[in-house]
Amino acid sequence: MANERLFEEMTKAVIAGLPDKARELANEALHAGIDPLAAIEQGFKPGMDVVGEGFARGELFIPDLMMSSKAMQEAIAVLEPEMMKRKQHLQTLGKVVIGTVQGDIHEIGKTLVATMLAANGFEVHDLGVDVSPQQFVNAVREVNADVVGLSALLTTTMLNQEAVILTLKEAGLRDQLKVIIGGVPASPEWAKEIGADAYAENATEAVEVVKGLVQA
Amino acid sequence: MRANYQVNATTQFRVLSDDQIEEIFHSALNVLERVGTRVYGEEGLALLRDAGCLVSDDASASSADALVRIPSWLVKEALSTAPERIVVAGRDRRQRVILEKDKIYFGTGSDCPALIDPYTGEVRKYTYEDVYNAARISDALPHIDFHMSLGLTSGVPVHTYDRHQFLAMLQGTSKPLVITAVDKEGLADQYRMACEVLGGPEEFAKAPLFVVYIEPSSPLSNSIEAVEKILYAAETGIPAIYTPCTMCGATAPVTLAGGMVQCLAECLVGVVLAQLKRRGAAVIIGGVQSAIDMATSILSYGAPEMVLLSAAMTDVAKWLRLPMFSTAGCSDAKVLDQQAAIEAAMSVTIAALSGANLIHDVGYLESGLLGSFDMLVMSNEVIGMAKHILGGITVTPETLAVDVIEQVGPGGHYLTQEHTRQHFRMELWFPTLMDRQQRRGWEASGGKTMAERVRAKVKDILEHHQPLPISAEVEASLKELVAHADERHRSKAGER
Repeated sequence: MANERLFEEMTKAVIAGLPDKARELANEALHAGIDPLAAIEQGFKPGMDVVGEGFARGELFIPDLMMSSKAMQEAIAVLEPEMMKRKQHLQTLGKVVIGTVQGDIHEIGKTLVATMLAANGFEVHDLGVDVSPQQFVNAVREVNADVVGLSALLTTTMLNQEAVILTLKEAGLRDQLKVIIGGVPASPEWAKEIGADAYAENATEAVEVVKGLVQA
Repeated sequence: MRANYQVNATTQFRVLSDDQIEEIFHSALNVLERVGTRVYGEEGLALLRDAGCLVSDDASASSADALVRIPSWLVKEALSTAPERIVVAGRDRRQRVILEKDKIYFGTGSDCPALIDPYTGEVRKYTYEDVYNAARISDALPHIDFHMSLGLTSGVPVHTYDRHQFLAMLQGTSKPLVITAVDKEGLADQYRMACEVLGGPEEFAKAPLFVVYIEPSSPLSNSIEAVEKILYAAETGIPAIYTPCTMCGATAPVTLAGGMVQCLAECLVGVVLAQLKRRGAAVIIGGVQSAIDMATSILSYGAPEMVLLSAAMTDVAKWLRLPMFSTAGCSDAKVLDQQAAIEAAMSVTIAALSGANLIHDVGYLESGLLGSFDMLVMSNEVIGMAKHILGGITVTPETLAVDVIEQVGPGGHYLTQEHTRQHFRMELWFPTLMDRQQRRGWEASGGKTMAERVRAKVKDILEHHQPLPISAEVEASLKELVAHADERHRSKAGER
């Protein structure tokens, strides 16, 4: 009964987008000896579902989504060590390595996509901006990524999306993962031209597309 | 005689008070001094370090970038040497924009990937021919004073597309230009091309043929390309627009005042860099300032926040005595529809009232992804209306017309008065696209909507307008310069 009340508060903290509160509740769960996986699955995650539905209905907006997802991630960070101890694994939809390609320092679009993917159950490794093809390859090897996301804002730097794909090929990694591209100058045609698997126009679409990629 | 008589020669409009402007300016100084800005590239960093900025190098950084804190006195010093007026003249040297306080000019935006084909209606990529045609349309429109490419030239090498694009623009219009450049080398090539057209660097120095658009990345970052371009522009005497595209709520604070503080700080970095390279270098501030749409995450080109921010930043630029690059005549609509018209009318009118100098992005649809010939032509009409409003009302004994009122008397009419005949062409505005027919006349003339009339005018310009030609000799050497640039890049790529 006490657990259920705590779970309810967790859900509320995620819906309200309160990272500090979420962290506090996660710690409380640890002290009470509650199964961390149950705290995530029955406590925090239902909050994310509510927020996702609200966004889809047009009642909630990007900042709501971002703050809720931040609350969710902070809670997971608190619970992770205990999960490791219990040899538990969070069910993820897949591992995504994401970054803005070399020569490009535009961050916001990539960050939106990364946050949305994380909020929707992907394990996301955000490499930041101005990421070289080799850095992508290294990260892919290190985390054994299922999906690579390449962002570019400029018509000159979008060429480096292709460079990453070529470097992945040279490293013999291209066949074991999917590549999705995005950014203002990118398009489905460009994705096809450079041998990417998919393109998404915005962060919401990216979630659906990446879900499709990992299921395929 | 009369005492204490004041005249409003134009309509009056402002958003911010002097005190509010000063507070925004001081906050921007505060940000530059305490938070700092990220600068890429060694030359810029060296200049800033030597001038007294606090440069904190990142141990981790593989590339040469560092956080630079700029002291307020240095910004003030830079402002004291940055020119408050700039004259830019097209290859037809009589086509001038004189960027002085409250002198307004409208022009297109640049580098949209897509257009709507005026004949097939298909949405497709801009070709060289389309970019040339966009320039011809600007050339033909009386209220478009300067031209940016509108489209991004596809089908040419990506790393030298800017030279091809510049050539298409030069061929299509003899009006003043605002260009984009891939990098410093691209800017240098276009400068050479401009000198070729004008007959030498001296003529360019007298009145530059173009202004270069350079964009720092919000928040508070300056890419190596941006820094190298502004330094080259300053050194060479090319006026530079150094302005970000701030998205309030995403890449800048959501509160509009905070968005302005950051935007101004970002512009001022360009002013400082340029003055450090060469005192007196011309820099234009402002930019595309708008809000992120919180449902779709796009940068809105039709938002009232954009209109308000642009006007408010114009107040700041005028107070600082710097020329202003503003935004209007653009929309988030996908086609030339009612939304496009509403957003164009709102932004054009307010930008005109604000007194901004280079008011750009006329013709943008789809939040800057689609450069629309239709939107450009329709906005030309809107600008005409806005300018008429700007003219205010002339109040003199002649225009007060008490004598005429007396002559006509109660119950008469004014149509046969000499006073009417003398004044109506100046006092009244004459539409070129707005339809004022009565229903039967309108139906008889085809019952066309605004969008249909606009499209007909687009086609008419495309089919008939001939820009001032460039001599065959000059055109040949321009093409040679472009080919050289392509060749240089091919051999460089080969080396790699």
